[in-house]
Amino acid sequence: MIKKSIFLIAALCSVYSFAQTSVVDMPNVSSVVMTNKVDLPQNSPSVVVQRGPYLQSGTPTSVVVKWRTDTATESVVRYGTLLGSLSMNETITNITTEHEVTLTGLMPNTKYYFNIGNRTEVLSESVTGDMYVITAPTAGTKQFVRAWILGDAGTANNNQRNVRDAYYDYVANAPINTDKTDMMLFLGDNAYKNGTDEEYQNAFFNIYDAMLKKSVAWSCLGNHDGYSAESATQSGPYYDIFTFPTSAEAGGTASGTEAYYSFDYANIHFIILDSHHTSRAVGGAMYNWTLTDIQNTKQDWIVTLFHHPVYTKGSHDSDTEDRLIEMRENFMPMMEANGVDLILNGHSHSYERSYFLNGHYGFANTFNPDEILNGGHTVGPNGKGDGKTDSNGAYQKTSGAAEGAVYITTGSAGKISGGDLDHQAMSVSLNQLGSCVMEVEDDGRGGQNLTVKFMRDTDGIDDYFTINKTDIGLKANVKEPEQIGVGLFYDAQVDLIKLNLDKNERLKNVKFYNNIGKLVKKSRKKTINVGKLPKGLYVIEVITNIKAYTESITIE
Amino acid sequence: MAFFFLNVQLFAHGDLSMRIAEKTIEISEEPNNFKLYYERGLLYQQHNEYSDALEDYRKSQALGNTEKAVHYRIAEVYCLTEDYNEALKSIGFYLELDNIDVKAKKLEAQILFQLQSYKKSLEAYRYVIHTMVDTRPEDILEYCDIILAENNKNYKGALEVIQSGLEQLGSHTLSLQLKKLDYLKDSGQTEKALEQYNYFILQYNRKEFWYYKKAKYLAEINKPHEAFISLKLATVAIGQLQPKFKNMSPVLKLIEQIKSLKSSINNQKS
Repeated sequence: MIKKSIFLIAALCSVYSFAQTSVVDMPNVSSVVMTNKVDLPQNSPSVVVQRGPYLQSGTPTSVVVKWRTDTATESVVRYGTLLGSLSMNETITNITTEHEVTLTGLMPNTKYYFNIGNRTEVLSESVTGDMYVITAPTAGTKQFVRAWILGDAGTANNNQRNVRDAYYDYVANAPINTDKTDMMLFLGDNAYKNGTDEEYQNAFFNIYDAMLKKSVAWSCLGNHDGYSAESATQSGPYYDIFTFPTSAEAGGTASGTEAYYSFDYANIHFIILDSHHTSRAVGGAMYNWTLTDIQNTKQDWIVTLFHHPVYTKGSHDSDTEDRLIEMRENFMPMMEANGVDLILNGHSHSYERSYFLNGHYGFANTFNPDEILNGGHTVGPNGKGDGKTDSNGAYQKTSGAAEGAVYITTGSAGKISGGDLDHQAMSVSLNQLGSCVMEVEDDGRGGQNLTVKFMRDTDGIDDYFTINKTDIGLKANVKEPEQIGVGLFYDAQVDLIKLNLDKNERLKNVKFYNNIGKLVKKSRKKTINVGKLPKGLYVIEVITNIKAYTESITIE
Repeated sequence: MAFFFLNVQLFAHGDLSMRIAEKTIEISEEPNNFKLYYERGLLYQQHNEYSDALEDYRKSQALGNTEKAVHYRIAEVYCLTEDYNEALKSIGFYLELDNIDVKAKKLEAQILFQLQSYKKSLEAYRYVIHTMVDTRPEDILEYCDIILAENNKNYKGALEVIQSGLEQLGSHTLSLQLKKLDYLKDSGQTEKALEQYNYFILQYNRKEFWYYKKAKYLAEINKPHEAFISLKLATVAIGQLQPKFKNMSPVLKLIEQIKSLKSSINNQKS
C-alpha cells in the first residue's frame, strides 16, 4: 500500500515526470460531431447520418453495416458490384436511430459498393466509389492480406491523426495492393478516457470515418473501454458500437459472447480475447473456449489479440500487473503449444516487439535468448535475431513446427508514455507514436511471409520483421483409397471392399463403424458392397479365425 | 532522481497510477468534495489497493455522498477482500434504495453463495437470470453452480438452465455444451453423455481430441470395445492432420495418451 503522505508528494512529482514522457494532449471532448459527408447527393437529405456507415463481422458471404441518424427512420442498404448500379437492397422497416443491417448471400472475395438510407432517400453514399465492402475470401484461401493494427489509439488529438495519416499515405502508395486494407484490428482503449459513446464519436468515428466505410473493424476490449462497458452484461458503448460474431458466424468456435470470439480471414485464424473483464483462469469459460477454438482450426496462420501485454516494460510492467501475468502464465503455454504465430497487445503506450519466442512465461529477468533446443526461449538459428530479411534473416517456421511466435505490444497509436522499455524478450523497444501493418503474402517458394511493420506518425518505418512459413497448405499423406490395409482393398469405382485372406485363414466377421463409432454394417463375405453407406470415415474391424484387426476407410 | 525511481516503482500501473495522482491533487484543492473521494476510491479499487479504496468510499459518505453506487462499490471491495458479511450489509443498503437493480442482485447472489446461503443466493440469481438482457455464458454457468450447490442432485434443473442458455446464446455455445457434457456424465446419463460426445465429434473440424475423450469415457463406463473403436478413429483423425498439427505438443501428447489407454484396455481384456 502507498502511504498517503508519501503518495501526495509522489503524485505531484509524477505529474511532472509523466509530462516528460508523454506528449499527449487530451482533447476537450466536444459534443457529437456530424460525420463529414463527402460525396453526398446535392440535395441534402432530411435525416442526417451522425455516425458511419461502418462495417462489422465480415465473412465470405455477409457483412454487418451500422450507422446512426439524428432522427429515427428505416434502415436501407442498397448494394451491388457496379458503382453505378446498386441493384440489390436490404431493408428493415422498423424505425430507429441506431441502424444495423446484415447483408447476406454475398460472393466471397468480391467488392460490393453500397449506400445507406431509408425508403425514400439515400442518406450517405460515395459517388467516387469509396464506400464498399470486399467480402472475406473463403477460409483457407492463400492470398495477400493486409491488416492495419491500432493500439490505444483513442486520444482524438493530432497524435492520433498523424498516426492515421501515415498509414493512409502508406497504403495509398503501396507498390502492391494499393489502397487495400482488408481489416482494421483495434487493440482496445479506442476512446479515452472512459470509452463513452461521445468519446467514441470523437476518437473513433470522426478519426477513422473514411477507412471504416471500406474496411471491417474488429476489436478487443481495453481497460478504458471497460470503464463504461460491462462485459458481465455485454452492455455499454463498446458492446453497443461493435457487433462481433458470437456463434462462429465468421468461422471458429461459438463463444456465445462478444467479449471473446474468433474469425477466419483467408488462411489466417484470428482469436480475440478479453483480458480485462473476463476470468483469465485456466479452466475458465474463456480458457476452455480458446483451447477448443485453437485446436479446431486448420488455418495456416494463427493471430491473437488482447489488450493487456504479455511482455512489456513500457508504461505498464508485465512483471507486476496481475492481468498481464495471468495472460502470460495461463494462456500463452496453451496457445504456443497449439501453434500461435503472432500476439498483438496494447496497454503500454509504446512499441515493443519480441524475438521469435517459445516457452518464456516468467519475469523479464528469466528470459534466456538461447535457442529452445539449448534450454533458451528463442526458436531457430536466427530466432534471437532481428527477423529482418535484409539483416539477420526472417524468422523461420517450417510446416512441421508449432514453436515460434512474435509478441508485439503496440499501444502508441494515440499517445506515448515512456517507461524503461528494456524487457529482455524484446528485440525492439521504442517510445514512438505509430501503428502496425501486417501483410501476408507468397514467398515465391510455396510458402508465405507474414511481415509486420511499425509505421511512425512521421511516415517512416522504424521496425519490421518477417515470419516465413514453408509448405503452406501442405496436406497430410493420406493413404491411397485402394490400399487401405495389408489385406483390404477398396475399389471406389464399384463401391466394393475386398478382403485377401491367407491360405489357412477363415473369415468370421467384418464390422463397419461410422465416424461416431456406431456399428452400421456387418458382413461375413470377402467382397462387400459399400455403395449404400453414406460418405465419410469408417473403421472396419476384420475378425478371422487367426487374427482380428481394424483398418480405416473414407468412402467418397 | 532517487525519489523518481521510487515513484515509478510505486506506480506500476501506468495510466491508472497517473489518474490516481491527478485525483489526489484535485482532492488537495477541494478536500471536502465527496465526488472526488468516490472517484479516487474507484481508481484505488482498480489498482487493487482495497483498503485505500474503502477509506475513500467511507470518506465520501462521511462528506455527504448518499448515492447508492457507493454502497455497491463498498460491497465489491469487501468481496474482493473476502469479507462477505460486511459485503452483504453494503449490498443490502444498496438494495434498500433500489431493489430491482440486476447488477446489485447479482452481487448479492454471489455474496450469499460465498456465505453458503444457497437458497437465498439461488433466489437472487433467479431474478438476475430472468431479468438481465445481455446474458453471457458465464452467467448461465454461475447460475448452474448455485443450483447444484443448493441441491447437489439437481442436475435436471441445471441441465434445463443450460438448455435455456443454449437457446438464448446460440445452440453451439461451447462453454455451455461442455458443461452439459459434464452434467450428463456426473448424473450418470451415459447414453446422453455419449450423444454429447458425438455432438462434439460431428460439430468440430478437428476430431482427434474428442475421439480420445469419448474413448476415455467409454473405458470408464466399461465399454472397452467401443473405446477401442473410438481410439482407432482418433488415430485416423491424427493421421489426416497436416504435418504441422501432427508435430504440435498437444497432439504428440494425445498420441501417447491413446497408446496408454489402448494398453490399459488390452490389459483389462486379458
